[in-house]
Amino acid sequence: MREKATTLYIGPQHPGITGNMMVKVKVEGDTIVKARTEVGYLHRAFEKLQESRNWLQSFTLLCRFCVPEPDPVEESYARAVELLEGREVPERAKYIRVLMLELARMGAYMLWFGGQNASLGLYTMGQWSVGDRNYILDLFEELTGGRIYHMYIWPGGVRRDLPEGFADKVLRTMDYLEKRLKDYDDLMFENTIFQKRTQGVGVISKEKAVEWGVVGPVLRGCGIKSDIRIDDPYEVYDKLDFIVPTHEGGDIWSRALVRRQEIRQSIRIIRQVIEKMPSGEYYNRIPNPFKWTLPKGDAYARTESVRGEVGMYIVSDGSTHPRRTHFRGAAYVHGITLLENILVGENVADVSAIMNSLGVCPPEIER
Amino acid sequence: MNDKNSQKIVDIIQNWARKHSIWVLAYGTGCGAIEIPPTMTSRYDAERLGVRGAATPRQADVLLISGYLTVKTIKRVIRVYEQMQDPKYVIGFGSCTINGGMYYDSYNTINVLDRYLPVDVYINGCMPRPEAVLSGFAQLQKRIAAGRATGAQHYKENLEWYRANQKKIIPNWVMPDYNW
Amino acid sequence: MNELKEVIIKRIKANFADAAERNDFKDNRLDIAVKKETIPSILFYLKDEMGFIHLSDIICVDWLEEGELEVVFILWSPVDKIKVFVRTRLDRDNPVMDNVDMIWRQANTYEREMREMFGVQFTGLVAPDEFILEDWQGPPPFRRDFDTAAYAEKTFWQRPGREDAQDVRETIAKRDGEEIPDFAKKYSR
Repeated sequence: MREKATTLYIGPQHPGITGNMMVKVKVEGDTIVKARTEVGYLHRAFEKLQESRNWLQSFTLLCRFCVPEPDPVEESYARAVELLEGREVPERAKYIRVLMLELARMGAYMLWFGGQNASLGLYTMGQWSVGDRNYILDLFEELTGGRIYHMYIWPGGVRRDLPEGFADKVLRTMDYLEKRLKDYDDLMFENTIFQKRTQGVGVISKEKAVEWGVVGPVLRGCGIKSDIRIDDPYEVYDKLDFIVPTHEGGDIWSRALVRRQEIRQSIRIIRQVIEKMPSGEYYNRIPNPFKWTLPKGDAYARTESVRGEVGMYIVSDGSTHPRRTHFRGAAYVHGITLLENILVGENVADVSAIMNSLGVCPPEIER
Repeated sequence: MNDKNSQKIVDIIQNWARKHSIWVLAYGTGCGAIEIPPTMTSRYDAERLGVRGAATPRQADVLLISGYLTVKTIKRVIRVYEQMQDPKYVIGFGSCTINGGMYYDSYNTINVLDRYLPVDVYINGCMPRPEAVLSGFAQLQKRIAAGRATGAQHYKENLEWYRANQKKIIPNWVMPDYNW
Repeated sequence: MNELKEVIIKRIKANFADAAERNDFKDNRLDIAVKKETIPSILFYLKDEMGFIHLSDIICVDWLEEGELEVVFILWSPVDKIKVFVRTRLDRDNPVMDNVDMIWRQANTYEREMREMFGVQFTGLVAPDEFILEDWQGPPPFRRDFDTAAYAEKTFWQRPGREDAQDVRETIAKRDGEEIPDFAKKYSR
């Protein structure tokens, strides 16, 4: 005898979802039969607002696109403007930009640890990793003045130079965080409950991943090696020495392993950057911002963020204001079509774990 | 036993108990939700003030509107606010609740929260530091102890005014005209 | 890289007669402009036979002065490591285009957004009507002739600014019966 299907609204106010969106699921018993997402609770119309601000003022709106990790968006915008105008960036500024991007990557991965484990019931991990993330935010605060929104990477370089003694502080923080990785392993990855709840859940096969346009750690967790830092290198990534980890399997467990190993690679990159950083200029000055015009045309630049490909497309018609800017986030692809497809056949208790592992972040989807 | 002095003593004890146990509803309505996990964890521990998270509106005391509100969200927030049970408070978090912040000219975000929901304490900043959040909660505790956190009372007495403002921006009004 | 670009352009032009190429930019990419009826077949060709399997972005730009909407597709080939931009123009008063989500599934989301924000109709698109905006009765909001600041001024109540220059902290302290501490006094006006 088949049970009747019920509709559940895992709605905007829910402790288990990663942000302000709704997932409407139809369940029979415990199994999901159909899923629909509904977004639009955070729409601010950024791209329309940027048309009434000039090129430098619209840069202050950009950080709020992706709240846990604002630096890749600033980097994409800065590189797109530099491509369009043909502006050169000094070598020291490139190294400082890589330092900021890798620190932001580590901070966002630690926040992700907290979210993924809280969806399974392991709240201790959130307390540890969010507490350790505060050390990285201290570094940001000393360098840029703000914990979350930095507004530091702008077209032409970076906004100010590293203060004295900053490199030592960074290296000491890296030593501390490297020791903590062993504690995270003991608590999370060698935990039988975590393994049993994540292996075999939310599986994406290789063909499906390529067909549905998956990017980032989700694609690397399916066994395909694809990373913008090695495919289409930007800044100084082609001079640095790091590997891109992949895992077969395609379930939540392999994606968690990929993310854990990328933290280790980020620590390695940061140490190389501190060692190889040249001295020199940190900023190629832009002219008066109220009269700064860019030549006609368009440009597209992309960066590898914690979730995948983050791209910025700008169109200029020769005036001081942008004609059209468009932002493409990785959660746009993962959060709507892919999520609706994967949830069919899963247990309703795993919805939160799957959403966390795909990296669905609503501010990126509806901007 | 119903004379004024014993009523005052009952009020003092009641307010003292209420101010030391404030449960925040788990609803991240905007950008500001990213500074709540650091406030609740070990460095800026908010649990020593009695502040912890609550899962559903029926179990929560305070609704923390963290950031801007779009027209789609405010429809749900009004419903959630009316489902909460007395005593309840609202904290406006961030400068977007005060005067619109940096999205003042967007067609989808509201500018002043005060017209649609009664606000007890505002915390300004973009975004506010965890110390500012703790200071906001301490301010709310002072107001509760002085008996001045009466946002819910004001909402019940002026319901027609609030409803008129809410209906002006929400085109498809599906909620009842009375307060839950 | 330049020989590779020449080879790709020659093969595209051999198969699609109306593909016009543009050359006036500084970054490393290919840029092709086609008519809107050719879009599904050229995208299929680029994906299946030329190796551009990754769809990065689909954007719609409003050229109000020329009376046209421009749709841009950005594709990437992981094997040859090269980008291609495919552009087409639509009439602004009646923008109709073919649906391409049988080629890439994620194009469904991009098309829903373009339909809602610009009013572009896609023939054959199967998706619920409302995507981001709820109960929106105005014109498509991302077009250039929609003034968002005027709409916000009219619909939402704005808080008036202060006319005097008093220090907010002093007002609050006086009202609550408290004192501003000494170290903060030197920053008061």
